[in-house]
Amino acid sequence: MVVGEISQERDLVIIGGGPGGYSAAIRAAQLGLSATLIEQSQLGGVCLNEGCIPSKVFTHAAGKLAEKPHLQDLGISGIDMEFNINQLLAYKTKIIKRLRTGIEKLCKENKIELIYGKATFLDENRIGVENGHQFDIFTCKNTIIATGSSPVMPLEVTIRSTRILLAHEIFNLPEIPDDLLVMGNDYIALEVASCFAALGSHVTIFIENQSGLPFDESINKELLRLFKKRKVSLINKVKLLSTAETEDGITLTVQSDKNREETFAGSYLYVSGERMPNIETTGIARFGIHQNDQGFIKVDENMESSIKSIYAIGDVTEGPRLAAKAIKQGKAAVEVISGGKPEVDLTFLPTIVHTLPPIASVGITEQDVKEHGIDARICEFPMRSNGYAAITANSEGFIKVISDTNTSIVLGIHMIGEGAVELSSSFVQLLEMAAKEEDMKFPSYAHPSYGEGLFEAVEGLVGQAIHMAPID
Amino acid sequence: MVEVKLHDIGEGMTEGEIVNYLVKVGDRVSTDQPLVEVLTDKMTAELPSPCAGTVRKIIVEPGETVQVGTSLIYIESDGDHELVSETKTLNNSVAATIDQGIEGIERIANPFKRVLAAPYTRKLARDNNIDIAEVPATDLSGRVTEEDVLRFIKKNREVNDIDEQRVQIKEETPDEIPFRGIRKEIAKKMMKSLFTIPHVTHFDEANMTNLFEMREDMKKAGDAISVPAFFIKALTISLKEFPIFNAELDEENNRIVLKKNYHIGFATETKNGLLVPVIHDADKKSIKEIHHELIELSEKAVTGKLSLAEMQNSTFSMSNVGPLGSTGATPIINYPETALISFHKTKKRPIVNDQDEIVIGHIMTLSMSFDHRVADGSTAVSFTNRFINLIEHPYQLLLEMI
Repeated sequence: MVVGEISQERDLVIIGGGPGGYSAAIRAAQLGLSATLIEQSQLGGVCLNEGCIPSKVFTHAAGKLAEKPHLQDLGISGIDMEFNINQLLAYKTKIIKRLRTGIEKLCKENKIELIYGKATFLDENRIGVENGHQFDIFTCKNTIIATGSSPVMPLEVTIRSTRILLAHEIFNLPEIPDDLLVMGNDYIALEVASCFAALGSHVTIFIENQSGLPFDESINKELLRLFKKRKVSLINKVKLLSTAETEDGITLTVQSDKNREETFAGSYLYVSGERMPNIETTGIARFGIHQNDQGFIKVDENMESSIKSIYAIGDVTEGPRLAAKAIKQGKAAVEVISGGKPEVDLTFLPTIVHTLPPIASVGITEQDVKEHGIDARICEFPMRSNGYAAITANSEGFIKVISDTNTSIVLGIHMIGEGAVELSSSFVQLLEMAAKEEDMKFPSYAHPSYGEGLFEAVEGLVGQAIHMAPID
Repeated sequence: MVEVKLHDIGEGMTEGEIVNYLVKVGDRVSTDQPLVEVLTDKMTAELPSPCAGTVRKIIVEPGETVQVGTSLIYIESDGDHELVSETKTLNNSVAATIDQGIEGIERIANPFKRVLAAPYTRKLARDNNIDIAEVPATDLSGRVTEEDVLRFIKKNREVNDIDEQRVQIKEETPDEIPFRGIRKEIAKKMMKSLFTIPHVTHFDEANMTNLFEMREDMKKAGDAISVPAFFIKALTISLKEFPIFNAELDEENNRIVLKKNYHIGFATETKNGLLVPVIHDADKKSIKEIHHELIELSEKAVTGKLSLAEMQNSTFSMSNVGPLGSTGATPIINYPETALISFHKTKKRPIVNDQDEIVIGHIMTLSMSFDHRVADGSTAVSFTNRFINLIEHPYQLLLEMI
């Protein structure tokens, strides 16, 4: 390695080319800053290469496959609809490549300096970037750490086995496991369970007894019901005791809620694991940056860390590990650097899960209403009463709206059902605008559409949904 | 709501400048009550109210020039009145219960520490360094609106202003005169003229003694005719002999247009500024007619009642500053005319008469500016010589009568 002593000056260096990092770089260019983006592997980060995007390729395929009986109802039959996992993996690779090329092109068009290599802080404003035999030093006015997070196996998983898969591994598996064990309550675990069940696996999902599922209680209930309906076995797990690799699979011993030791066998075990910040390689900890107990960087409302002019965004910081948060923070950090006054408020960051059917949840849940004694109106409109859901044979699920009885301000919107992900754009908009019931009832909604379910749920708050039986 | 638009008040006007509003938001107005002063070219006009009602909104700022058809004011006509009073009561009750309302919101424990304001409203607060949580909401639900934030900013500013006044030495603010309306119009025209026309000014003097005697005689006979009326007559006669000064340079088509109409503009001082009403076809009018028209137009100019037509199409202009004083000036030509003449104060001075005696003469100085692109100095002197000759020997004017 040749250590160059010549340091190059840079206005803004962003470490990490995930959705937060590249969004920040592009916004910086738009605001007239010259930005340098350092990526040690591939642009797009976890989200594009091994997280959200690959999992969506799988959930999309699972959704299509699940439509098979319905297609026959529509008179579409006789087509060879065999599922081929290798074809899907090729498709996934193609999509990821296409999206990554798009990001590279955008970076180029925005004249962003893109450097591949591993970045390490040499001191608070100097960064060394190592790439093979090359080592460049940059003196930076401002730095944004956007290095993301990585999953780690739970401590109970003591063995290292090719039969135990993390998120980035399961979507590369060239087979559909006969028996898939899924451990985790987060969105990827739920998506894995849901889509592999649809793709042909027998799935057993272990759900943490104490924390349960992270949604409104009605959603939790409906999701579990639908899992059961799709022959997904549910195990309320109290504690993971041990794992063991067998000749053709893996076994998992847990303490179940019946206070019994139970052992389950499967061909593979999927574990969400715990996501930990990618901070060590940056060497920033040496300079005393404030971190929480798990190592996540603490930032203020301007995304600035405890070290002046070093900012941090996305998974490497505290809070939810979601691309939407990283993108928001990335843009905000750059706006702060260029003298603006942005605000990041994650109150209404929606929780989205691409299960079959998908879930979109934002705002106060019914549990919150009970816990805080909020005087609220609640209405759940079943999708089976929605005309468009009937046409498309997607009548499972519901839309639930919670509003404040005194002010009629909408507090939370939760949906499980086809169209939930796209409709969530409306949910967040309404909540951010502090919409009242009338604000939601006033517009004309496309007919027929899933969206009508939203407005009927609001009308239902005062017993005026047209397609709901009167409440006695 | 009744919308008051700028409509065509002159002859084919296309735009007008909003000079001044005669009402403000909240004022009660009656039908035909003047609402707004509008300036077109050089005429000021008032737009009347089409209905009785209350002024709800003023849209265009004074000083702005807008096209005909642009909405200027919204008036809530008395037809809508019931609605208005209803809203009013509502507002009052809201105002009275603001504090209660906010308490009401506080009471509901908010597990998300949610901000009850739309993203734009929040940005507005942020950009003004205001914590949105401190802004009181007029909406009972606690939802903070853009108006709430603006009100809060204003209130803060007033408080700050008072604080500043306490510690600061009071700085005298200079008086301001709005630079708009006629003043701005004058500026525009003067700039255009001076930047386009190479001006030459020459000075001369005229012995007014004979004219004054003649006027005295006429006055005794019962006809008091003002001096400018004679000037205008003499000018038309001189202009017919020197048509180059009743002309307009048409640079685009490489020609000088010698005009066959003799429309004489005369500069008139008004409280708003300089106006130039026009005596049309002065050559076809008697001195007496000219005299009466001068009085009439001057009055209209002073009272701001001139119509657009009465200020248009002059072919030559004069400025009679004599009554105010002065001995000479370098007047700016009334573009696109070719020349302009100023008459200064007539003073008693010793002069040598034809008999080589020193006598008292009434001598008036004059300044004539002309466009050197169009005419030359010798022609200009010949022109003023002819004019002076007519004024010094006013009986010659008789010879020109048709």
